[in-house]
Amino acid sequence: MEKKLVLESIFAPSEDVVAREIQGEFLIIPITSGIAESDEEIFTLNETARVVWNNLDGKRTLRALIDKLSVEFDSPAAEIENEVCGFTEELLKRKMLIEVKRG
Amino acid sequence: MKFLKSLTLPEFSLWNKMREQAKIVSFNLELTGRCNHNCRHCYINLPAQDQQAKAREFKVDEIAGIAEQAVSLGALWCLLTGGEPLLREDFFDIYLSLKKKGLLLSVFTNAALITDKHLCFFKKYPPRDIEITVYGVTQETYEKVTRKPGSFANFTRGLDLLLASGIKVRLKAMVLRSNVRELPEISRFCRGKTKDFFRFDPFLHLRFDGDAARNAEIKTERLAPEEIVALENSDPQRFKAMEKDCAQFIFPESSHSHCNHLFHCGAGQGSFTVSYDGFFRLCSSLWHQDCIGDLRKVSLTDAWSNLVLKVRDMRSDKEKFLKRCRICPIINLCLWCPAHAHLETQEMDSPVEYFCAVAHARAKSLKNN
Repeated sequence: MEKKLVLESIFAPSEDVVAREIQGEFLIIPITSGIAESDEEIFTLNETARVVWNNLDGKRTLRALIDKLSVEFDSPAAEIENEVCGFTEELLKRKMLIEVKRG
Repeated sequence: MKFLKSLTLPEFSLWNKMREQAKIVSFNLELTGRCNHNCRHCYINLPAQDQQAKAREFKVDEIAGIAEQAVSLGALWCLLTGGEPLLREDFFDIYLSLKKKGLLLSVFTNAALITDKHLCFFKKYPPRDIEITVYGVTQETYEKVTRKPGSFANFTRGLDLLLASGIKVRLKAMVLRSNVRELPEISRFCRGKTKDFFRFDPFLHLRFDGDAARNAEIKTERLAPEEIVALENSDPQRFKAMEKDCAQFIFPESSHSHCNHLFHCGAGQGSFTVSYDGFFRLCSSLWHQDCIGDLRKVSLTDAWSNLVLKVRDMRSDKEKFLKRCRICPIINLCLWCPAHAHLETQEMDSPVEYFCAVAHARAKSLKNN
């Protein structure tokens, strides 16, 4: 059963992936096996995901991140929470993110 | 909402954008010139124990420095080749340092040095693919090419280990006088082993070091133009591809016929090669002294920004070239390019009779079909 996200937890990019920006495209490139389904597969992030990724820095809790983005984008925290949690869960499922501290 | 989009590399639109903007897409690193085999046709190999060649090899930190610059210029894919790259005692360190920069890696190897340690490593840090050349499917033929007793057993052991471990392997064959009779069996072997990609190449390049004795040997291994065409025609996939593009290959007037620029090929267009001792080239075969840069003296960024432009602007005023190759209506069927012309004739703007004969044999065959 999947663990439910705790907003007081802190997350950081896994060392098993490298994030690169090339010509305006934001790429996540797996270093180790078990992340991509084939050796031909790489990942791109959309605009929203890119902002969230850059803020998953291993220092800030998810709640702090949601509050920060809510101010920056002048959007309701509930709406931001929905997007941040959705993306975080996807990254965790793909093993692209690690939980640095459980809240 | 879909935050994360998964793409396979061929459907990745960034490739075209990067090429259009003269960015680096990929690069080749020749990790060593040394090899555990001594193939008759090889354009680069030096003895595995050659200490002088070993001493000249770029070190891990130098390679990492080049990769860092290449990555900052946009490079996404790197081919590790040689010589035999697995001869490098620091191969794992080099490979991992490149992986950690976000590069997709391919490896060219003869598979003979593959060990369980390599398997564990490649399973943990998968390459995009490992490409292996098959010189023969019998010990006699294989070792006639490699001139290394025991090499066939080592190759089959290494290949079987890689295939059993699920690492993506691609197979290819060089076709030379010493193994051409076995090509049908080699093709069946390769297609049976990988059920994927297989290609053969009958074009043997001359040595990068210009070794006259080795070059003479390579020439004796080359097939006659008619033999090459017969081989191409006997491969349905290859022939269909050529037939499909026939109209583009053969045209009445070359679009380059009024231009005296030497380079109309892809040299320096999105990719480059670095030799084991640190020389930057626009393509693997381009060794003319005016076209290379010593990366121990100039930065990659400098070579990419300045040398490539200078070389791409080189022109010829040689009538023999301008009146023959430059206006040739079947130049696209020809192996001719400035780099190969230099390896063959020491001049980048000289015709190469062997290439010319192959092109005409191909044109004749396409017209007849």
